Amino acid sequence: MYEPRIIAFLCTWCSYTGADSAGIARMKSPANIRDIRVPCSGRVSPELIMRAFNQGADGVLALGCHVGECHYDTGNHRAAKRIPALHALMTYAGLEPERLRLDWVSASEGERFSKIATEFTEAVRALGPIHWKMESRRLEEAAKRMELESESVPLPPADCAGKTDAIRLKARELLSSQAVECVIGYEVGPRGRTRPVFIHSPEDVERLVWNPGCVNNLTSYLDDKLTPVGGKEPPKPVAVVAKPCDSRAVNVLVAEHRFEREKVHVIGVTCEGVAGEDGNLQFRCVNCQERTPVVYDTLVGAPVEGRASDVPARRIGQMEALAPAERMEFWLGEFDRCIRCYACRQACPLCDCPVCLFERDDSLWVGMGIGLDEKRTFHLGRAYHMAGRCVGCGECERACPMDIPVCLLNHKMAQEIEKMFGHRAGMTVAPSPIITILSGEYKEG
Amino acid sequence: MTDQWASANKRWAVTQEQLAGWLDSLAKVRTIIAPRDVSGVLLFRKVADSSQVAWGFGRTVMSVKEAFLPSTERLLTIHKTGQEVRLEVELAEGQQIIFGVRPCDARGVRMLDAVFLDSNPVDPYYAARRANTALVGLACRQVGASCFCTATGGAPDEAGDMDVMLYETGEGYLVEAVTERGRFLIPGGEWPQTRQPRPQVQPPEAAFTVPAREDWPRFFNQAEYWDRMAERCHSCRVCAYICPTCRCFAVRDEALPKPGEYERIRCWDSCEGKNYRLVAGGHRPRSVKGERIRNRMFCKFMYFPEQYDLDEAACTGCGRCIDACPVNLDITEIVTELGRLA
Repeated sequence: MYEPRIIAFLCTWCSYTGADSAGIARMKSPANIRDIRVPCSGRVSPELIMRAFNQGADGVLALGCHVGECHYDTGNHRAAKRIPALHALMTYAGLEPERLRLDWVSASEGERFSKIATEFTEAVRALGPIHWKMESRRLEEAAKRMELESESVPLPPADCAGKTDAIRLKARELLSSQAVECVIGYEVGPRGRTRPVFIHSPEDVERLVWNPGCVNNLTSYLDDKLTPVGGKEPPKPVAVVAKPCDSRAVNVLVAEHRFEREKVHVIGVTCEGVAGEDGNLQFRCVNCQERTPVVYDTLVGAPVEGRASDVPARRIGQMEALAPAERMEFWLGEFDRCIRCYACRQACPLCDCPVCLFERDDSLWVGMGIGLDEKRTFHLGRAYHMAGRCVGCGECERACPMDIPVCLLNHKMAQEIEKMFGHRAGMTVAPSPIITILSGEYKEG
Repeated sequence: MTDQWASANKRWAVTQEQLAGWLDSLAKVRTIIAPRDVSGVLLFRKVADSSQVAWGFGRTVMSVKEAFLPSTERLLTIHKTGQEVRLEVELAEGQQIIFGVRPCDARGVRMLDAVFLDSNPVDPYYAARRANTALVGLACRQVGASCFCTATGGAPDEAGDMDVMLYETGEGYLVEAVTERGRFLIPGGEWPQTRQPRPQVQPPEAAFTVPAREDWPRFFNQAEYWDRMAERCHSCRVCAYICPTCRCFAVRDEALPKPGEYERIRCWDSCEGKNYRLVAGGHRPRSVKGERIRNRMFCKFMYFPEQYDLDEAACTGCGRCIDACPVNLDITEIVTELGRLA
């Protein structure tokens, strides 16, 4: 008979003792489970769970104290928030939902431990071994990409000249008065492509433009500009031209204490949407509700009406309609093209860890290779790290030279977080709800 | 590898069907790598037959570099039992043909040859792949918007680095055997020989002049210039990974799932990444973006020609980095402005 390999993370204060209680009471528990004793279920970071799956676990069980009974008061709140979010992501990526389970077992509940362990093992046994790994022949077949729904919307007219003038005017004022050290905006490059530009002196403000090619999220430069480097004086304030989606990133960055709000002068620009390669509205803009920046110091442009489309949600529906194995094939087929150039991560204003977990020199979380395993780990890990933080600017997907639909992951996580916590990243200065404690939204069972 | 084979009597005129048939017959005995549409992305991939080739292709997203210097390659397998350590090396085997190589990419392979093949020590992994691989080139009929091969000494119909060269004629193709290995691939008897001249491609004039090599050392300390050029850089690695000549790699030993087994792998690396050349103790010799961009430019236009004693730069003018850069850093702009600095 097939024997699954199961990793169980057990809290030392409750479920670990619960497992002992089961043993003392001579209750039977399956021998498939390898216990890992942790100080609290809050210690079970999603990375550990993903690592367990990467290392060949067929199922992962995380057991903590009942909510309200945590030895550290709120440690298990974190587990209660993070693991369901991870569960949603892994399921979306093609893992059968039964392979990951979070539950609560107190020290005296030996019977409950035995029951959960048996149930879980049988469920995983029925599924068979995990198939994260795929032969290249299968991958080639999977590469016949599922036709994702799309929507072609012509670019609405916009007062680009007026906005350009207003941006230049404000930039000149800020630079002349030395209120800011530099203005981060857009210019037209030598080949006619609009790109980021850094204006340091009032004479150069004429280079600034506004047009439908303003695709970059310029807030991705803020962390770099506003982080003091070794012993230097604290950096001077900067101004940044921000579209409505970009402006949400400012809120997230401030909430995460990346810099002080006063250090940035946000020149918010109302936005009709940006253009894709075909001249139509980019897909990320078809369902954009916020056409006016949510945070700004100067507002440029007249208010613009939001645009609703259910195509992005329908895309997620398309994915969810597939069987888990098909979803996994789809994602592995997509990840297979990745070259780990990190363009997605570097273009993201919120991917700003000093050292990326997936690029550590010790290969602790993921190896250095540019192979399918590593790529899957990176993409799913990044999607999880963006949960509750991603503002949906879509720059990761645009930056990708391999056209991997990264946003399809991020969008799903945003949807999930909104469903779970009513949170939309960056609408206010608030951190991701999955890194905070519960506030009454959790009901056991 | 140019030799006397590139003469007029080694030229054949074939139709599209004949060419496809040739590929199909070759595919029975060798691995064929050709431009292929992979979920909407044009990449060099194995093809089972000519129907999988993305005919009429333009520039592939990745260069042919990955066929010789794969993104990840196992150098050694390490088996450890008790005190005994056994190392195992496996070199690439099997003959393969890369079909539809553009002249700029083939020049890139020549650059890689200078590094891995023509200088000591020879890289056995690269050498094995190179020896097993024939290049079937395809001249460009027109030049892409971001192409600048003529500025770096190439041409859209340069055949010198191929084994077989194809020219599109409108009715079909003109096939030319460039090397003996190429001649061996061609079913001479079945195809009509021709004295038809090569179709002429009007190469664009060089859009800019690369500063002379002796001028470069003076650019090194222009920190302000490099910082200004690099300000918009995101420090991702796409430019290096898609580049036909960027060849930096990192080597690391990693554990394999089986206990006691390890592998030594080498993977692509890029001087644009923040961790570039990070050493123990945390020192990063190229810690500032400007220094890293400078490194990339110097590597291409000065270090490479100097180190390998060549007259040309390690840039083939394919223009991939210009289009793939998420923030539109433009190598031609940097070099042009550098010329003004001189």
